[in-house]
This record gives sequence, structure tokens and C-alpha cells, in this order.
Amino acid sequence: MKWWFVPLWKTLHYFAVAGLVGIVGLIDLRILGVAKGLPLRPLQRLMPWAFVSFLVTAVSGYALSRIDPANTIGPPVNVAYAAKILFLVLIGLNDVLYFATGLKRQVDGVGAGDNTSASAKIVAAVSIALWIGVVYWSRMLTFLAGAI
Amino acid sequence: MHIVDILQQWSENSAFFTWLRESPSIWAYPMVFFIHTLALVFTDSASVVIDARLLGAVRRLPISPLSKLFKVIWIGVTLTVVSGLVMLGTDVQTKVMNRLFPVKMLFVLAAIVLTAVLRNQIASTGVESSASPLARVLAAASLVCWCGAIASGKFAAYL
Repeated sequence: MKWWFVPLWKTLHYFAVAGLVGIVGLIDLRILGVAKGLPLRPLQRLMPWAFVSFLVTAVSGYALSRIDPANTIGPPVNVAYAAKILFLVLIGLNDVLYFATGLKRQVDGVGAGDNTSASAKIVAAVSIALWIGVVYWSRMLTFLAGAI
Repeated sequence: MHIVDILQQWSENSAFFTWLRESPSIWAYPMVFFIHTLALVFTDSASVVIDARLLGAVRRLPISPLSKLFKVIWIGVTLTVVSGLVMLGTDVQTKVMNRLFPVKMLFVLAAIVLTAVLRNQIASTGVESSASPLARVLAAASLVCWCGAIASGKFAAYL
């Protein structure tokens, strides 16, 4: 395998993460009250791009798991990998909750300068916390590989 | 003596950097590395959305409130630079001598300068719907520089 395979996939993975977390994080921050001048409907129009970015992270992440053993569950079990996947599943559930409960549609009605509901704020805060967790566990992948 | 050698010696004699370099604890070097990555994710995330908007994505989104996001970017940049310097301190010679190190630093510096110029551009013109040609060029250049900084950082680790 060429030496530049891993850094190339990692670079692509990170670019897609920047796009995905950029959109999701901006929506979350706005729900929490940052940059209140932004109306939320056009902001949430960016969601399809977040989904495209997610697909790129998934494909590049899969590629990395095939070429770099630190990016797999093991054996020996990599706690960081297990935790990362768990956090991603929790993010998925949080997102499903956001759409299924009608919160997304409610937030669409939040214009420039308006406040969001407490429930939207909770979902947004959970989303940001989980994403910070995903970055943490991703960083720990190489350090915790083979730790158990 | 070369400045790199002086810094190398200083880092080798420093109790803090020695601990950071040698401790197997995930609260040592890995923690600094995590802060570096997280701060960078915040910086790049905010930049990418601002740049995309200036380049013409989601035209219904007003541009001027985006200037509030520069606070996020500056906190991110500061934390990234500080944690980056701390990591550099653990192994000055190897890191500075890496062939991609000057490339990465150039991209980082250019990205920071472009971000500052872009911020002033947005703040002074108060654009609402479409960005000026200058703002577009700055946005594209900033995007290229952040991407270049990321790529050279990733590749540097494998040289």
C-alpha cells in the first residue's frame, strides 16, 4: 500500500467532517442563541448538504477502517472506536427525535432575532455535546488501540 | 547554535514538556492533541459555512449576522495555535524539520490573515444578499488555505 493512502483518506474524511459539523453545529449554535440575526429556515435548508457530507465521512471512514487497524473495533477491543460508534448512533437517535417530534418544523418558523423553544435548545445542546464526544473518541483511536 | 537546537535543548530540559512527551496517560499528549483537533473543527466548520454562503450557497441566508461567527473562529484559532505550539514543544526538531512543516505554516498564516480581511470586508460593507466579487475571492482563497493547512498537517504525520 502506498504511504499516502491513509493521509489522503484522512484528509477527505476531515474535509467532509468540516462540512457536516459546520452545518449541523451552526444550526445547533443558532438554536442556542448564537448569531441570532440568522433566520433558521434558510439555515436548515443546508441539511441536504450535511447529509452529502455525512455520506462522504461514512465512505472515507469505511475505507480507513479497511487500511488502518486503529480504526476498527479490534480485537483487542478499541474502547475509543466502540465509544465513537455509540456516540454516532446517539447522534442519529437525537436527529430522528428532532424530525419525528416536529421540532424541525417548529424551528423552521424561527425568524431573525427570534428565540427557540426550550426543547429545541436541549436537542441542540445534546447534539453539540455528542459531536464533541465523537471528535474526542476519534482523536483517541490511535492512543487507545490495543489498550485492552 | 541553530535556533531549532536551542529550542530542542530547552524542551528536553523542561519538566513540563518531558512529562508531556513521555507520559503514557491519555490526559497528557492525547488531551492536547484533542484540544487542537476540536478547536480546529470549530474554526473550519464556521469558516466553511461562511465561505460557502459568500460563494453563493443559500442566498436567502442574510450575510451580515454571519459576522458573529468570527468570535467562534477566533476562539478556535487561538486554542489551535496554543495547543499546536505545546505539541511542537514536545519534539521541536522532528516537527520543525518535517518537509511539510513550512507548507503547513504558510497555509495557516495565509488562512488567518484571509479570515481577518474577510471579517472586515463583511463588517464594513454590511452585505445582505450577495457578496462582492472581492469577498468571493477572499472566501475561495480562505477555503483553499484551510484545506491546504489540513492536508499538509495530515500528510506531515506520515512523512
